[in-house]
Parts: sequence; structure tokens; C-alpha cells
Amino acid sequence: MGALNSLPDEPQYVGLAEKTGFSFEQIGILHKRFKQLSNNGETLRREDFNTIPDLLCNPIRSEIIEAFFDRRNFRQTDAVGTVHEIGFGEFLLVMSHFRPPSIRLDDEQKEVIRMEKLRFLFNMHDTDNDGTITLEEYRHVVEELLSRSGALGKETAKGIADAAMLEVASISMGHMEPDEFYEGITFEHFNKLLKEFEVESRMNIRFMNMDTTTLCK
Amino acid sequence: MGLFFNPFNNLICILLGISLTVWFTMLLVFIIVPAIFGVSFGIRRLYMKTLLKVFKWATLRLERGAKEKNHLLYKPYSNAIIAREPTSLEEEIKEIRRSGSNRDLNSASEFEMSDIFYFARRGVESIMDDEVTKRFSAEELQSWNLLTRSNYNFHYISLRLTVLWGLGLLIRYGFLLPLRVTLAFTGVGLLVFLTSIVGLLPNGRVKNYLSEKVHLMCYRICVRALTAIITYHDSENKPKNGGICVANHTSPIDVIILASDGCYAMVGQIHRGLMGVIQRSMVKACPHIWFERSEVKDRHLVAKRLSDHAEDKSKLPILIFPEGTCINNTSVMMFKKGSFEIEAKVYPVAIKYDPRFGDAFWNSSKYGMVSYLLRMMSSWAIVCSVWYLPPMFREEGEDAVQFANRVKAAIARQGGLVDLLWDGGLKRGKVKDTFKEEQQKLYSKILVGAQEDRSRS
Repeated sequence: MGALNSLPDEPQYVGLAEKTGFSFEQIGILHKRFKQLSNNGETLRREDFNTIPDLLCNPIRSEIIEAFFDRRNFRQTDAVGTVHEIGFGEFLLVMSHFRPPSIRLDDEQKEVIRMEKLRFLFNMHDTDNDGTITLEEYRHVVEELLSRSGALGKETAKGIADAAMLEVASISMGHMEPDEFYEGITFEHFNKLLKEFEVESRMNIRFMNMDTTTLCK
Repeated sequence: MGLFFNPFNNLICILLGISLTVWFTMLLVFIIVPAIFGVSFGIRRLYMKTLLKVFKWATLRLERGAKEKNHLLYKPYSNAIIAREPTSLEEEIKEIRRSGSNRDLNSASEFEMSDIFYFARRGVESIMDDEVTKRFSAEELQSWNLLTRSNYNFHYISLRLTVLWGLGLLIRYGFLLPLRVTLAFTGVGLLVFLTSIVGLLPNGRVKNYLSEKVHLMCYRICVRALTAIITYHDSENKPKNGGICVANHTSPIDVIILASDGCYAMVGQIHRGLMGVIQRSMVKACPHIWFERSEVKDRHLVAKRLSDHAEDKSKLPILIFPEGTCINNTSVMMFKKGSFEIEAKVYPVAIKYDPRFGDAFWNSSKYGMVSYLLRMMSSWAIVCSVWYLPPMFREEGEDAVQFANRVKAAIARQGGLVDLLWDGGLKRGKVKDTFKEEQQKLYSKILVGAQEDRSRS
């Protein structure tokens, strides 16, 4: 009969659901998406992301794609470096950074989630993984976001990046001596800078309610 | 022993002979003769109604089976899975900055570190779910039509359903498929043969008349070969000579569907093999526009030949599928502007297939042409609706792209399809660079625009 698979294998999903916090249904949907992107393969590579036209329009697409292959986002302590291909587990782990927080969380858990999201963003900037975002790295991100042709020239983009960096330095270090050198933004500074922003609400993706047949309980 | 077999042999031969004769007579009477005259006994519509009743029963049993076992029926998502914010780039960035409340709003023109939230989120959203990639896989059904290919809930089938499914399999592969293949060969063979004969006649009214009759007859036989049940709406808007007919494209069968109701001049590339033979004989009877492979790249040549053809009022309307590739019939993608640059009346046509009976979408990266046709011929039926829309002209000051989009919107609206801006060529190719820079330019404009305001104040 060659049945196409219907409900996904439950035991495998239990582990993933615990680690990532997604529900079984959401995992099933994301698994389908993973298969679609990887052409029914077991792993995803960087090239597979190039089939999404909406993503190709995004100015920081290369950073976003790199984030999926960055081992720091796989929730393994002290893992560094990048990989060439990822399986469904890693895909889900990275996606879980954007999972909407459930309502029944206490403040401590909320803080943990906030830290995770901020860490994700920090890793996106800090490409050489030295723990700080240097001027070069920051400038790179700003240039990506702005247009190289058109309204802003390269010099202006550079100027904007420098000004922003200066502002960051003044906020985190207070007053600096003329010969003092600002190393770069560490994670603590990053956290302090974005303290007021509601990372939890700005950085999550809401799933729609899936329609299911009513079960007789 | 030899003597024993002989009478049996004779008997078998006689029986075989009789059944073949009966078979062919029935074929002739019920299918080929009506096709020649363009009448219909209504057998196919009766067939369709019966099938729908059977499908409804099958789906109910599936759902009942699932409920009994207290499991979830896997209902695949049909539209979006994530809720996207309908706000624009500008609004969202302002909102993000506003949420960092102790910043002075006036200084919101400077680059902020938090701006990156927006882009990161949008990026991951598009990885989770995007409009375009969805369109290139077959649309998923809500009810089961007794074909294995479209079922996701195999666990819940009872004995009765299995028997029904087995019966369906037998009917489709044992009876319908051979019948359809015979008809298809008859149709194509007759087309090649008769158009070659008509081609021998001198050009004139008689030739045109005969060629029209021959084409219509053969296409009608092909329509029956697929058991296509077509409903034509608004036939008063049918394309006339000197016009261009544009339609949305789901499968190569679209050509047969449209051409069985009217005569068109086809446009396309000359193929080798069987297709080439058909193309060459068709062009003997009436002028079609076939291009050599090398000529296809030359846009001026293509445009010139099309406009020459359109200007000649005695020639048939041109049939073009501007999407350039097959789309899965839930949406209409970007129309290529080439066909809209020519000065001629455009007759839009919307084709919508009913997915309950068989999936007509040709996923050319998954199936080759022959396996696609076999799949089509072993489905229950192909049910579709064709709407002829009133003709449109290019207006003053409208360029080809705008005109194309206007036509596309009309077709999408009529067929109940989603009107998408994306290029059908994305199925195989990549996004053009101009699109990529759009977002960058938009963001820069926000920063620069705001800065100009500040320097003014």
C-alpha cells in the first residue's frame, strides 16, 4: 500500500518537545517544513535556505542563515564553531529562540528566556566568537542593513556605525580617557543597552491555532 | 490432447472477437461520434456526481474511524501557519524604538541596535513559512478521494473502506486506464493524419473550415481520453481572430481544455520526437507559431512574429501562458511582460481545477511528462471550470508590466486564486538582485529621511 506517513513518531518528539518547548503539533508542522526545505533529506545545508525568496530579500540574511549553523545556538554549553549541515533537532533548537513564551512563567523563567534571546542576537553580531562585538563586526552589521547604492553612501554608513559605537562606549564605560581603547561590546554591556526593550514580545513568532477535529473525551 | 484443446481454442477466439467488436462499437458510439459532432450524452456528469457521493462517504468513515480510536486526524495546513504582523518596516521600527521608552523620540532617526530585531524576526518567519515555496507543491486536500497519493491518514481505514479502495484501484487501472490510453492514441493519431490531409488542400475558406473541424474533433477525443469534465462560463467572451488569449497555467492539459472549445494558434518551441511530429503536422493545416530553440532567446524576433500574426485578422487568436511555468492552481504568479507588449486585444481566461477528483498540477521537477500523463489517466476524472473574461486593452500611459498585472488580477479574482507578485521562474531560479536591495533601500530611506528632518528643524 505504500502508506505516506501520517502522525509523526511520538517518542522522538517527546524529547524534542521537552528541550525546545514546542508542542507536538508545532513540531510536526516544522518537521514538514524542514523536509520541504531539505528536499526530503535528513540534513539542511546553507544552500537550502536560498530557495526561500522572502529570506533573500532580507538584508541580514547571511547572519540569519549562519545563526542556524552556529554551534553556540545549539544549547550545548561551551560549544563553539560552525557546522556544515544540521539535522532536524538543531533546526528546532535554533527556532526555539523565537518561540512565544507561555503565559504561566514566573519572573525567573522569563529572565532566562530573555537572556537566551539576547544571547542569540549577540552571537549574530559576534562572528569570531571572542565574546565581544568589536567595531569591525558592528560596522559590518550596520552596512548590511543599509543600502550600498542609493540613499546612503558607504562613507555615511561607516559614519553611522562609528557614531553608534561611540554612543555604546559612552553608555557602558562612562567617561573615557583619550588614550583608552574601547575593546568592544561584551555581553553584559549588550544586555545593559537593550534593557528597556521588550525582547520577549519583539522576538517571537506566533503560531496560528491549527484546526483539529474535535476529540470525544 | 490436441483434439481436446481445439474446440476450446475456437471458442476462446470467437469470444475474444465478439467482445473486442462490442468494445469498439461502444467506444465509437458513446465516445468518438459525440466527439466529432460536439454533443455529449451527459455520462461524464453522472459519473462525477456518483463519485462525489462515494468520496463523501469515504471521508465520513475515515473521520469516524479516527474518532473511535481517539486519535487526531492529521489535517495538513492549507494556508498560513504563523500569524504575520501586517505592519510595514517603518511602523515596526518606530514601535520597537518607542518600547525603549526613556529614549527621546526625536532621536529615533539614528541607527539603533534594536532595529535588528525586526529583520531577525522577519528572516526566521520566512524560514518557517513563506508564500512562494508553498505554491510549488500540490495543494493538500481536506477529504479523501480514494487515491493513495492524496491520503495522509492510512491508519484509520476500516475493512469496508479498504474494499472500496481496492475496487476503485481495479476500476481505474483495469478499465479506465486502457480505455483512456486507447482514446488518447486514437485522438493523436487522427490529429496527425487528418491535419496532414487537410494540409494538402489549397489555402482558402474550405481549408480553414476543415482544419477547424479536424482540430476540434481531435481535441474533443483527447478530452474524453482524460475524462475531463469542463464547464465553460461566459462563452460570449470567447477570443476572436487577431487577439491574444492569456490563461493561467497548471499543466500541459490546459492546452487541450481550451482548444477543445475554440480554435487557437499555439505558440511554443519545436520539440523532437512525437511532440515534434504533432507540431509539424498541425502547422500544415493552419498557421501556428513554432520557434526553433535558438530563436526563443531572441525577444525581438518572438515579439515580431507574434505581432505579425496578431495583425492578420484572418489568423486565429494566439494562445499564451504568460506565467511561463506550471503553478499548483492555488494562485497566479507574475505574468511575463512579453506577450503584453504587442498591440492587440487581450482575452484573459481563468482555469480552475477541482482538486477533489485528481491533482492536475504538473510538478516538473518531480515527474516527467509520461509519468504525469499516466497519473492523470489513472485518476478518477479531471474536473475544471473555464471562465472567459471580457477583453482588455492596454490603456494610455500604462506600461506592459502594469497591464500584465491588471490582467493577472482579473484572472485571479475570477478563478478564486491568490494574486501573487512573485515570479513563477522562482521554481527553478533565484530572486533577482533588484528585489534584494529593496529592503535595504527602504531602511536607509527611513534613516536618511529622518536625519533630513532633524537638520531642517
